[in-house]
Amino acid sequence: MGQPAVVFDNVWKKFSRSQRFNSLRDLVPAMVAGFTARRQSEDLVREEFWALRDVSFEVQPGQALGIIGPNGAGKSTALKVLTRILRPDRGTSIVRGRVGALVEIAAGFHPDLTGRENVYMQGAIMGMRRAEIDTKFDEIVDFAGVSEFIDTPVKRFSSGMNARLGFAVAAHLDPEVLLIDEVLSVGDLSFQEKCYERMQRFVQSGIAVVFVSHNLSAISSLCNQVLVLNHGRPAALAPTHDAITVYAKMVQTVKLESTGGHAIALQLMDQAGQSVSELDAGAELRVRCVSAPVPGASRLHSELQVRHLETGNLIYRCQSQAAGGNPIELATGERFESMWRVQANFGRGHYAVTSALLNDEHRWVAVSAPALLTINERQSEQAVVFLSAACELNVLTGDERPARR
Amino acid sequence: MINSLSTTRSVAAMSSAILSDFREMLAEQAEYRELLYQMTARDLLVRYKQSVMGFGWAVFMPLVNTVLFSVIFTRVAPLKTDVPYPVFAYTGLLFWNCFASSLRFAVISLSSNAVLVTKIYFPREIFPFSAVLVCLVDLAVGSSVLVGMMFYYHVAPSWTVLYVPLLLLIQVIFTAGIGLFVAMANLFLRDVKYLFEIVLTVWMFATSVVYPIGEVGGRLGMVLKLNPMTPIIDGYRATILRGQPPDLVAISVAGALAVVTLAVGWLVFHRAEYQFAENA
Repeated sequence: MGQPAVVFDNVWKKFSRSQRFNSLRDLVPAMVAGFTARRQSEDLVREEFWALRDVSFEVQPGQALGIIGPNGAGKSTALKVLTRILRPDRGTSIVRGRVGALVEIAAGFHPDLTGRENVYMQGAIMGMRRAEIDTKFDEIVDFAGVSEFIDTPVKRFSSGMNARLGFAVAAHLDPEVLLIDEVLSVGDLSFQEKCYERMQRFVQSGIAVVFVSHNLSAISSLCNQVLVLNHGRPAALAPTHDAITVYAKMVQTVKLESTGGHAIALQLMDQAGQSVSELDAGAELRVRCVSAPVPGASRLHSELQVRHLETGNLIYRCQSQAAGGNPIELATGERFESMWRVQANFGRGHYAVTSALLNDEHRWVAVSAPALLTINERQSEQAVVFLSAACELNVLTGDERPARR
Repeated sequence: MINSLSTTRSVAAMSSAILSDFREMLAEQAEYRELLYQMTARDLLVRYKQSVMGFGWAVFMPLVNTVLFSVIFTRVAPLKTDVPYPVFAYTGLLFWNCFASSLRFAVISLSSNAVLVTKIYFPREIFPFSAVLVCLVDLAVGSSVLVGMMFYYHVAPSWTVLYVPLLLLIQVIFTAGIGLFVAMANLFLRDVKYLFEIVLTVWMFATSVVYPIGEVGGRLGMVLKLNPMTPIIDGYRATILRGQPPDLVAISVAGALAVVTLAVGWLVFHRAEYQFAENA
């Protein structure tokens, strides 16, 4: 392998919770200090905290690194250090080659200027030459789908049009390193699809990409390496699937802590009744839920829910009566158990399994904490369902046509 | 001996660091020259679109002030000037206005573009620099009125107007230097823009904008001579209205001061730049 395009080497970055300089008395010495030497103070004083602690990674040309983590984990800070907006307190950040940054993409837009004027302005902010924008102008406007309105002041644009035009300018940069901060959330579905394709093409064309997102499915199909951050600390730097597992577990723990105790204990098991958190696609999954006594409830039902973590979609929901479990009545002091058996025909990825207890009016009376299930599957490129595909390839010779029966 | 050696060494290290910073600063400006142009064009366009009078403001402001001061200094407290007072005042006000409004725009240029400062990297000097360029365009528009007034009062220009570009260059360098300081200061302390407004008012009367500064004698007069804007404004009057060369000694001092101001201002700005995003 050659030289990495992006090197983040033991980077530390601190922030202050309060305003740094409150009076001229503080400012003047700080400016003098800044002038005489680049300040390299390494200790936390007063209200300071580390936004990044000892974070390291490298990205080779043609590779995409994803950065994920809960809010406030330091993802955007890392990206700002890469774009040179922030300077690390310790460690080094090196980006080799022309940098394109897709961050807050309509940031440079001026409401009183027309779309055309703003395209040139935004292009210049991103380091494009006028001639370069001239040649790409039509393509940019086409991509954004705002050609009718290009000579209208952008204050009359819808917010979607604004964001689309902003992304379109950025997408026509010709970078060697691309830094992306959560931009897939703009525009409608078809535009998101277009952005996504564009980013895939960037990766395939051999540039280095650093991608910050909460959208795990976008991360998992775009990136080959993922860095998980938590409170500024690197929690994992691993191939995408493994890193997402780490992240999903982290999020689950957080959820459990924040919701407190649950009335239902939930256990995932395999066919043999062994506790599991990982399964092969298509295998049998057993879910056992035990609930504490429920005061005042009569005929009880159980409900099973499965959520796809990468997209956040609820992909399965079923009530016990539909699966053959008749409602039961509890006497005082008795506990309720439901045992589910499902065919885990899920695609590769991460799933949260939840169970709820319902009364006769189908209202929830208790709910379990989600249990994390990771599905291993090697057949499909991308899937939320396991279709157990089989395929046969044949060579046809001459005018031979496939036989019809 | 050892002590002096290490001092020499650290001085050498510091100056090489400063040199490499200057190289970086100039290289960045060259790389982003397109943006400086776009930013200036944007500010001009926005001003033109937002206001009814557009570039008319560039003429209107110094003209109103000229009328005001003409009433004061020809009717209320008559002042002896070698050229008709309205031309005298307008020349001073035109160039002073260019200086003052550049700085008024520069002082808020970083804080009002906070979104850009915190989101995208490019050399932030572009903001105060484009503020200066925008006001140069205003100056060009406003000087058409000066030409008209010279016709009206029969003030004939001579070859000495060739000094004007030199004087303007010194003024621009000085303005840019001060602009970098005030833009930066206002980012860290938002009340700087109010404070600076007062400074500008005082500064105008400490410069020979609406009266000849030679009239002020004594110690105060000595102090006022240190103000680099005075030889510049006096220089414009001498070369445009009187057909005389400027006071070359005073202009050289002002020029040297302007260059030092810009160099120091730019270096401090560049080194503080990485803190901007945290304070914007």
